[in-house]
Amino acid sequence: MSTASHPARTDRATLALRGLGAVALAGVAATVWLGLFVTPPDEFMGNLVRLLYVHPPMAWVAFLAYGMAGLASVFYLWPRTRAERFDRLAGASAEVGVVFTGLTLVSGSIWGRPTWGAWWVWDPLLTTTALLFVLYLGYLALRRVPGDFHARARRSAIAALVAFVDVPIVYFSVDWWRSLHQAPTINLITHKTYVHGSMAWTLLLGFVSFTLVYIWLVAHRYRLAKLQDREETEGLEVALAERRAEAVAG
Amino acid sequence: MNGYVEAGYVVILGTLGTYAVTLVARERATRRRIDGAPTTAQGPSREAADTSALPQLGAEEPGPRLS
Repeated sequence: MSTASHPARTDRATLALRGLGAVALAGVAATVWLGLFVTPPDEFMGNLVRLLYVHPPMAWVAFLAYGMAGLASVFYLWPRTRAERFDRLAGASAEVGVVFTGLTLVSGSIWGRPTWGAWWVWDPLLTTTALLFVLYLGYLALRRVPGDFHARARRSAIAALVAFVDVPIVYFSVDWWRSLHQAPTINLITHKTYVHGSMAWTLLLGFVSFTLVYIWLVAHRYRLAKLQDREETEGLEVALAERRAEAVAG
Repeated sequence: MNGYVEAGYVVILGTLGTYAVTLVARERATRRRIDGAPTTAQGPSREAADTSALPQLGAEEPGPRLS
């Protein structure tokens, strides 16, 4: 059923999205305030620890985005659940994921310069993360290759699943290989944390806030993709109608 | 503090802010083009029929508006 016939529901959805945006913005503002002005400097890293309130959340959101893109791709490939919305969701989530991966690389590089003395090192974690960035850039490029909608969506879904193989490699690379990079501040497998007190709460707030930002961005990217598809379809219909009218008149 | 910390925050917040504003602007411009485009009496498009899931995210709106 089309939501076009439910303006009240549409208004509620739009209001909910605005509310989500406001909460996400407030959360990010609080994270920045706590991270820059309230939490103490670290015993070893000094003020550089303040970058860790935003850098790990960038990486987490990138993983989340690629996970969502992979899940949506599975739903698209599965015949019983195949629908255009899953292809659109996969594309939206992957694009947002690429933005967050880029920010992970840049913020990590800014942290690495004073810590390691280099903007970039060919460390396993950094290298596999850069590979992840390139893989999903390729995925986004593949989505733009013109052709039949379902053929394009199918090959994009397969590409998303292939690219996702790199996500666990990135996460476990610090365990599998000797790495300059420190172990995860919060281990998602063992639930072991290496921060406490106000520093832990600020980091947690960063994770939650940037996750809300991710949802807000994906929602808007999804809406944009849907509008673009509609514009393309309606443009085609108008062109066909004009050709038919010309044929009848001729 | 040192310049690295500030630079990190500026890059992250600046990039996300720019991306968010760009998305909303593109959404608004596309909606405006659709509303201003001539339409046919061919019935609902492929997109209009594909809105059963994620209704909140993909909801149609009556006019050019932002959220």
